[in-house]
Order: sequence, then structure tokens, then C-alpha cells
Amino acid sequence: MDISEKINTAPTQEDELEAFLDLTPELVRKRRSQGKIIFDRFIRNRAAIGGLAFLVLLILACFLAPFITGHNQPDVIHLSDTLQGPSLRYPFGTDDLGRDEFARAMFGGQVSLEVGLTSMLVSIIFGIGIGSIAGFYGGIIDNVLMRLTDVVLAIPLYLLLFVLSATFSDGSPRFVILLIAFFGWTNVARLVRGEFLALKEREYVLAARTIGARSFRLMFLHILPNAAGAVIVSATLLVGANIILESVLSYFGFGLHLPSASWGNIIALGQDLYDSAPWLVFIPGLLIFFTVLSFNLVGDGLRDALDPYMTER
Amino acid sequence: MGRYIIRRLLQAIPLLFLLSIFVFLLIHAMPGGPEQVIFNPHLDAAGRAALRASFGLDQPLPVQYIKWLGNMLTGNFGFSFQTKQPVTDLLSERFPNTLVLFAAALSIALVMAVLLGSLSAQRQNSATDYTLTALSYFGLAMPAFLLGLFLQDVFAVQLHWLPVSGTQTLGFSFDFFNGLLDRFLHLILPTTALATLFVAGWSRFMRSSMIDVVKQDYMRTARAKGVTPRAMLFQHALRNAVIPLITVVAIDFGSVAGGAVITEGIFAWPGMGQLFFNSLESRDFPVLLAILVIGATFVIMFNLIADILYGVMDPRIRYS
Repeated sequence: MDISEKINTAPTQEDELEAFLDLTPELVRKRRSQGKIIFDRFIRNRAAIGGLAFLVLLILACFLAPFITGHNQPDVIHLSDTLQGPSLRYPFGTDDLGRDEFARAMFGGQVSLEVGLTSMLVSIIFGIGIGSIAGFYGGIIDNVLMRLTDVVLAIPLYLLLFVLSATFSDGSPRFVILLIAFFGWTNVARLVRGEFLALKEREYVLAARTIGARSFRLMFLHILPNAAGAVIVSATLLVGANIILESVLSYFGFGLHLPSASWGNIIALGQDLYDSAPWLVFIPGLLIFFTVLSFNLVGDGLRDALDPYMTER
Repeated sequence: MGRYIIRRLLQAIPLLFLLSIFVFLLIHAMPGGPEQVIFNPHLDAAGRAALRASFGLDQPLPVQYIKWLGNMLTGNFGFSFQTKQPVTDLLSERFPNTLVLFAAALSIALVMAVLLGSLSAQRQNSATDYTLTALSYFGLAMPAFLLGLFLQDVFAVQLHWLPVSGTQTLGFSFDFFNGLLDRFLHLILPTTALATLFVAGWSRFMRSSMIDVVKQDYMRTARAKGVTPRAMLFQHALRNAVIPLITVVAIDFGSVAGGAVITEGIFAWPGMGQLFFNSLESRDFPVLLAILVIGATFVIMFNLIADILYGVMDPRIRYS
């Protein structure tokens, strides 16, 4: 028997293993990619899927429904139809000027969602920038940036936003977005910094550095993708928080000014008519509530799906 | 431990210093000044200048800052543009009301969060657990002002069980006991509105922290030695599970302060929050400055206390 024959007849590793292991369905199951595993876990979370479905429906409704259903004139006054309760003609009723509340809620939803989503994006970018520089370089840079974060965190956020908004705001969505984003980065920055502090000591980063990767490449191509999970989760939760923040600002008259109506403004306007037309407060209130709830459910679902320590079911 | 406390106190000083510069510049970037607050059409240019000089606003900004800082360190926050009263008087008038609301809401939120969180953890995956989880999601998604409005509508306007707003019934003279009861009744709704916002998040945190602790080996040892499940939960697990909660509460402290301002706005609670709204409308800088600085100082101090408590509760943590 020559050597090549010996190699061919020698039992392969798999054959050996088969003798010891029962082939349970888990072992036979096809190997799934990382993305597929995360997707499968997320799909199984019914609450998160419910939240996601609501958000998709809401976004479609806010941006399309006014045009499909013909409720596309939020500012037109119908003096013959003032303060009507929800009906077929006006699904969400009308206000004291006879304006179509459904159209107002949908257009207000566009503004609320726009503010929530864009301010999240801007603060995530700030947070990633500040957090990754602080975590990667450490030392005095880290110290300075983190003290800055501490200062911003120490001032009660609402007071700061009220003061800034009362001073500089022109009440446009762009200003409110920047304002919320400008002070919303602190938690993301701390989170990213923490991830960077842990990840930059790993061997793979050292390996990349050894073969000549520069700091920028290390930070954004090697370390950041590994911190992505935590950032995605906090981004999702931040959208809900920012929608609430915007509605509080607008409710107290420090947020968006008319004509850019958001759900917060609609509530503030409807409050005076609460006794005769409670739907003017209830409907935008419920919309805020369910939107934020959905973002939180999706965020928690993502957290569970992305957590590598979760036991695989 | 003593050295650690001293070092943390020393670290807080530059933070407070930075913060005072930040707030000072912010407030001075606001348009307006005393001459706009005190509406007087007969005021000519010389009169305006004199008015500005009387508040020290004619001096260069760094000089103003140093004077303000020096005065503040001796407890003098200057004079309100609007009422000409010392800011310290205005604040000390309002401070007790805010403190009562704040302390009541904070302690109720903490007790409820610990109780509900432990309950959910003890009965993990039971109907109770799911109900509490669902409720906490509702609490987290509810904006502060909406909850306040709904509570006000249901319990005060519709049911007439509780007073709508304020700290006491005006125009009545009560004897001591009824006066106290009256104040207590006024406190219920704002406290509930403020506390609910935080019970939701904190109880979730408490639940997961408790579940982590219950899984530990020393808990199994205690059970094996015959400790009853109830005693295990309350004597062995609770103390360790509360430790991480302290940090979360400390981080949220600023939000509780912000929430208190909103609650005061809704329930017309005559505290610092309401003073803040009034001063903001009239651009009363000295009052705004004082409120922001005091608020931020409290947040920093509370974080410090939380760090120290952390060490007291968990002897494994050694500060070097």
C-alpha cells in the first residue's frame, strides 16, 4: 500500500465525528450567515415585527394617504364644518376653523417623523465622530472630549433647549432638528467611546496596524463596524426620544412655529378646545404614543437580535 | 475611600467652572436686556445706558463674568431685571415647592421601580411579568406633558377627585391638619405624572439586574442552606441588584429635573420650573443664569453621591 492510497482511505475528520455524535437536526441544519441569524432572531420577535409594521404603515400613510384619499389640504378652512367629530367625511374630525384633522395629522406626521429621523442621523454622526476620536486616541483628547460631554449632560436638557430655542430659533424644522441633534449626541458618544476602548486592544486591530493600516482606516473600517450593533440600537431608540423632545418643545411654544405644524403643535392648539373636541388632543397624542412605542419595540428587538450572547433558539 | 471622595470633589470643580462659562456665554448671546424687559417708552439713550450700567452690563464680558462668578460663590446671584428683587429671594421662595415635588416623585419612582422590577424578575415570564413589561413600554412612549394632561382631565376635571393645579386651595383658611391634607391632595397628580415617566425605565432595569443576580452561585448556595425564596430575594439579591440601578438613576437625574419643569408648567406648580418659564418669556437673564447653574450643580453633585454610594453598597469596588 503506497502513501497516496493510505491518505485516501484514512478516515476524514467528519467521518470520525459522526461516529461520536448523534446527528440532531441542529447539526444537520445548513449553516447560516451572520446576517441571516440576526434576521431570523428579529423575525421571531412578534412585538418588534408589530412595531415595524406600524412604522411602515405610518410612514406610508403620512406620505401617501393625503394624496390617495384626497385629504391633502391641511390648511383649508371649512367654516360650515367646524368642530365635527370623527366621521366618514372627516376621519379624524375637524377643528374650530373646520380644518381637516386627518390631513393635518398626516402632514404633521411628516414633520414629526422628519424631525425625529433627521435629528437622530445628525446626532449619531456627531456621536460617532466624538466618541470614536475620544476612544481611539485616549489621553488628553479623550479627557477634553469627555469633560465636554459631561458639561452638556449636566445641564438639564429641557432647560437648555428651551433657552436656546427661545433665543435663536426661527421655528423652522431645520433649526429644531439641529437643536435637538446638537445635544442628543452625548449618549451615543459615550457608547461609541466605550466600544472603541474595548475593541482597540483586540489582536485584529493590532494585526491591521502591523500591516500598515492608518488610524483613519483602523477607526472606521476595522473598529466601527464591530460597534455598529450598539449604535443601531441606540439610533432606533433615539428616534422615539427625539420625537417626544420635539413634541414637548412645540407644545410649550419653543419648537416649530406655524405653519410647520407637527403633532406637538396640533396638541397645543387643540388643548384649548379640549372640552368640546377632545379628539384634537387624543388623535395626535395617540399618534405620538404609538410611533414612539413602535420605535422602542423595534430598537429592543434589534438589541436582542444583535446580541451574540443570546442563546440561539 | 476618603481620598477618593476628595479627588472626585476636586474633579468636579473644573467641570463646574467650564459649565459656568458655557451657561454665561449662552445667556449673554440672547438678544435683549433689562431695557427690553422694563418697558418704558420715555427711556432715552442716556436712560438706557444708565439702566445697563446699573446692572453692570456696560462692562466687557470677561469682567462681567468674573464679577458674576465671584458674587455667585458668595451666594449672591444678582438682581432680577423684572422685579428688581435679589434673585436669591426669588429662588428661595420657589425652591421648597420644587424640592417637595422632586423629592416626592423621585422617592416614589424609586420605590415603585424596585418593587415592580423585583416582582417581574421573581415571576419571570409569568402573566404578571408580561403585564408589567407592557405597562413599562406604555410609560416609556408617553410624553411627559400628555400624561400630565390626561391625568388632569380624568382625575380633576371629569371625576373631581383631586385638584387641577397649584399647591393649595386659594381663598380658604384651613386649620393646620386640613391645610396639610389640602397640600397633599394637590401634590398627588403632579407627583404621579413625574414619577410614572421614570418608573417605566427604572423598573425594566431593575428587572434585568435582579435576574442577573438571581443566577449567581451565591444565591444557589443560600437556597441550598435553606433560606426561603422570599428572604433570598429581599435579603440576599435586592442589595446587589440595586447597585447598577444607582448609576442609571444618577444619569437620569438631569431628565428628572427637566421633567419637573414640564410638570410644573402643566400643573401650574409655583416652583423653579414656572419661574424659569416666566423668566424665559421676559428674558430675565440673572434668574435664568441662576436656575441653569443651580440645576447643573445639583446634577453633578448627585452623580458624585451616586458614585460614592456605589462604593458603599458594593465593597468589591476599590477606588484607586
